[in-house]
Formats: sequence, C-alpha cells, structure tokens
Amino acid sequence: MERQIINKKKRVFSLEPNKNPSAVFTRKYTSHLVPALKKLNMNKNSSKQTVKHEVDMALALSAQEFAWSRFLLQKLSSSTNPTTTTSSSDGIQILERSDKEGGNEEGEIEEKLRELQTLLPGGEEMNVEEMLSEIGNYIKCLELQTIALKSIVQDST
Amino acid sequence: MDLSVLDRLKWLQQQQMVSPEFLQILGSDGREELKRVESYLGNNNDELQSFRHFPEFGPDYDATDGCISRTSSFQMEPVKNNGHNRAIALHNKRKPEGKTEKREKKKIKAEDETESSMKGKTNMSNTETSSEIQKPDYIHVRARRGEATDRHSLAERARREKISKKMKCLQDIVPGCNKVTGKAGMLDEIINYVQSLQQQVEFLSMKLSVINPELECHIDDLSAKQFQAYFTGLPEADSKQSIMADFRSFPLHQQGSIDYSVMNGTKDQTSSSWETHSQCLYNSLRTDSVSNFFSLK
Repeated sequence: MERQIINKKKRVFSLEPNKNPSAVFTRKYTSHLVPALKKLNMNKNSSKQTVKHEVDMALALSAQEFAWSRFLLQKLSSSTNPTTTTSSSDGIQILERSDKEGGNEEGEIEEKLRELQTLLPGGEEMNVEEMLSEIGNYIKCLELQTIALKSIVQDST
Repeated sequence: MDLSVLDRLKWLQQQQMVSPEFLQILGSDGREELKRVESYLGNNNDELQSFRHFPEFGPDYDATDGCISRTSSFQMEPVKNNGHNRAIALHNKRKPEGKTEKREKKKIKAEDETESSMKGKTNMSNTETSSEIQKPDYIHVRARRGEATDRHSLAERARREKISKKMKCLQDIVPGCNKVTGKAGMLDEIINYVQSLQQQVEFLSMKLSVINPELECHIDDLSAKQFQAYFTGLPEADSKQSIMADFRSFPLHQQGSIDYSVMNGTKDQTSSSWETHSQCLYNSLRTDSVSNFFSLK
C-alpha cells in the first residue's frame, strides 16, 4: 500500500513547463516547502514560528528574481526569531518632494504609500516607483502562496 | 556633422519661420555653444516638424531646460498655439537677447544635473543622436499647454506619470480596485488586500503547524492536478472567497493560545466582497464557540 502511494508521485506536466510564471513559482514553492515541512516533522519541535519561518523562506526562495525576496531572505536568515510580515517597523522615511497641491490630499497619499512600504519586505529601502512595481509581483506571489498552502492543508485532512 | 551650423539653422528657419534676428544673436555667441545646441538637435529631421506648434507660455518663464528637447533653443517668438492641446516634445519659450547665453549654459548644466536624477527613465528618441553626444540621456516629457516647464515640475510630472502608470497595473492585479477611483482609494484597497493576504498566509501556516504531524503520510499524495486547478485561470476574487469559505470546515487542534492579535489589526474595511468575507471569518474565529469548532480527530 505504501509503495503504491510512493509510486503515485505522478505529476501532471505541461509541455512547456517554464512558460507560465505562476506554475513555475508554485512548483518551486512546493518543492521548497514540502521537504522543509517533512524535515520539521522529523525534528518534532515544530512550533508555529518555525513553520511560519519555513513558509516565508519557501516564498523567498521561489521568487528570487524580485527585490523583495532578497530582503525577505536577509530578514529570515538574520533573525533567529522571525517576525511576522504584518508587524510594522519604523521604516526609513522616503524623501518625497510633493508639490503640496492638494494640501492634505497629497499627505494622505504619502501616508498610504509609506504604509505600503512597511508591508512589503524591504519596502523601506526602495523609492516609490520601485516599490509599486515590486508590490505587484509580491501580491501575485502571495496569492499563489495562499493557494499552495491551502492545497497542502486540504490534502492532508 | 554633415551640415554646417548656419546651414542647419537656415534649414530650421525654413521649417519654423524663426526670425532672422535669432540667427544673428546666435551668431554672436561662440560657435562652441552652437555646436552643443546642434548636438542636442541630432540628425533627426522629422522631430523638428512638430515645432510649428508652440504652446504659449507666460512671460515670466525662464529659459530652463530640465528634460530635453533638441529643438527648444530655436523658438524665439511666442507662436500662437492653434488651439491644439498637442503634446509636444518639451521646449521652452525663450526671451530674446541676453538670455541666449544663459540658456545655452543652463542646457549643458541641466544635462549634467538631470542625468543623474533621471537615469533609468526611458529614452524615447535617442537613437538618432549623432555620435558626438557624450551623454545621450534624454527624457521626453510632454509639456501640455499651460503647464509649467521648469526643471523641477517637469521631473515631478514625469515621475507622477510613471507612478500613475504603475498604479494602473496594480489596479488589474488587485481585485475590487476598479470600483474605487483616485489614488488614495486605490492605495487603500491595495493595502487592505496585501494585509489580508499576509494574514491568510499566517493563518494557513498556523494550521500547517498544527496538522504537520499528520502531513507525513499524505504529503506524497499531493497531486499536481490540484495545483493546476487552483492557479490556472481562476479569477482571483473567486478563489479568495472559496478559500475563506473552506476555512470553517477544517478541523484544527487548538494548541495553546493561537495568536489572534494579527487578526485584530484589521482596519475599517470598505465594503468589497472579499473583505467582508475575511471579516466574517475572523469574527467567527474570535468567538468563544471556537473550541467547539475545532476538534482533533
């Protein structure tokens, strides 16, 4: 029975596996995460923190072409106690030269941009334009990550 | 240079009906500066056609030149705009006599200054520049009628256009952004979306950590078919909702105190569908009946 399960490792391969970036990312992500989870299992000390750590690490490793993934990797490898991605940090203030045409309105937008920067790993070190484009692919990868995680969880229940 | 400077000027004059006074003025300047002007012009003759239409600027504009036009130096008189609001390559209105030298120098200085600040911006039509130009890092900014053309506001405008272009791309990515207009609203949506995604990931990883011991037997069974179904072509909004709905049905063993502080951090939400879903989910998790909900097999 077990042998059958092991032999069932058939994957549905597409003819051009590297064309669809979502597929590439998800494949990489699961290939990073699943063995890591297995290893965690063996060690038997899987707390929430380490799983989260592995999850983030898998995310960072699967998206290495983006700037935010490098920042994320740095953060993960440097910190023993990984902070959650939703924690706010005092970021370096972006130097914005706003025209103050709308008065408060511009200030609001600046505020929001700064907040967005705190959400993105490494966002504080980028300027606004860079950040906006990085946010786009960060969102995409987050979505794929949630889908992958959900599949993993669903599969094992 | 295939044409001599004066020949070129004469050609331009024919194109633009520039006053001959200008030529004299220019002629009195050093040839060197003229050559620099030449180099800005490049060899592209097509661009110069557009110079017939000049927006009218107020009289107090200095001859500044942030982002570049090759032909800007030749406008001497304010030519009335024919009512077009045509986007034109940038140029400035020049005051005759006495400003020419300043302009030339400013142009060169501007090139140096703005090059560093505008590196990496797109060069639109540099391919035609002659080989004599050392730093062909021009940016074409469209100066519309009645808008400021000094260096700083041009840079600002170029920057703003880039940013709004990126915001439009983000609008496609983030579901529900189409309904909101304006930068602030869109940014709000984006922030909420990113936060909710991150919270989802946290939640899922929490769950994973709980059911991890059981994973071992099932992990090999993961079929790629499921993944395919999920990420190929599913509309994002729908997939989010389905994820949310499924959360309730997962059995989860409550290990110690699950950290709900993350979920408490959600702000006031606008009424987009996925946000209300996430709120429902988190509210339901926070109630006391949560322990009944979760049970380990």
